[in-house]
Amino acid sequence: MQRKRSLVASLALMALLVGVGSPRAETISFADAVSTLAHACGADIKKHCKGVNLANNGIQQCLNKHQAAVSPTCTSTMVEVTASIQQRLAAQAAVTEVCRHDGAQLCKGVKPGEAHLLGCLLKASEVVGDKCNQAITDAGWR
Amino acid sequence: MRISELTWVFALVGLLGAGSVQAETLSNKQLIATLGQVAHGVPEVDPGVLAQEVAANVGKGAAALPTWSQLAALSQIDVDIQFELNSVAIVPESYRSVGVIADALHHPILRAHKFLIVGHTDSTGKPEANLELSQARADAIRDALSTTFAIAPDRLFAVGVGQEMPLNASNPKDPANRRVQLINIGWVK
Repeated sequence: MQRKRSLVASLALMALLVGVGSPRAETISFADAVSTLAHACGADIKKHCKGVNLANNGIQQCLNKHQAAVSPTCTSTMVEVTASIQQRLAAQAAVTEVCRHDGAQLCKGVKPGEAHLLGCLLKASEVVGDKCNQAITDAGWR
Repeated sequence: MRISELTWVFALVGLLGAGSVQAETLSNKQLIATLGQVAHGVPEVDPGVLAQEVAANVGKGAAALPTWSQLAALSQIDVDIQFELNSVAIVPESYRSVGVIADALHHPILRAHKFLIVGHTDSTGKPEANLELSQARADAIRDALSTTFAIAPDRLFAVGVGQEMPLNASNPKDPANRRVQLINIGWVK
């Protein structure tokens, strides 16, 4: 069982790395997204975007403006990072709706509020539906 | 010991344990655990009054000012976010820290709370210029959180305190005094 589980984990990791399946269901944290950006674009940002803040699309616009001089890895990473931030936001926004039925069934007596509902759904994860469990994972709330 | 007292003790432990956190060790779970401890009966803080108080007392310190002194009772954590020299641009090495804050503030445990972002400088330079820069940097973090990471702007309040509340009071020029405080100031109405 242990071996099977680690095989599944390896396959999942490979799928993640290779980017198998489109659109990808996996989402990454905001921290990981901007770490990727800093890693791929840090040098270009320091060189071409002095004084520009990571707000109001400033970095994106600056890198686009200097695209000819910016590394191709940075250009493609910028697009991916912007998309992954949007994906994570969408995943978080979807949880309430996807988990509505599970919440109503399994978390009747729970105090009002999103945090209490999430706590209940996390405790009940073994009986919560696959879609709701996946939505919570995609939101980064596990 | 009543339950409310127990909660209060936990909150204090949380505060005492909240040192300056380096980018590589900061996690959103740590932020959620620290900032999610909300003690009952804490004072309501008006961010506008904070700015007025410190502006009227530049060079005299802020910790003892009426509204600033109330902040000590609130759940908070210090975060290390570096900026370019004399600029409001967050350096790429600190993007992760801002992302970690975004992860924490989007979590359901903190999603209904408002936060104060307090910018601090060390004492290098003029106090007035430091106050101005720290306000602009706190604003920059607020803008990064509200635009790049879509945190609702009505949950975020930015205020600069310049060099007026050093972490290391015996050495006001200590770089450790340059920091960002993130403080839970209560529920979104």
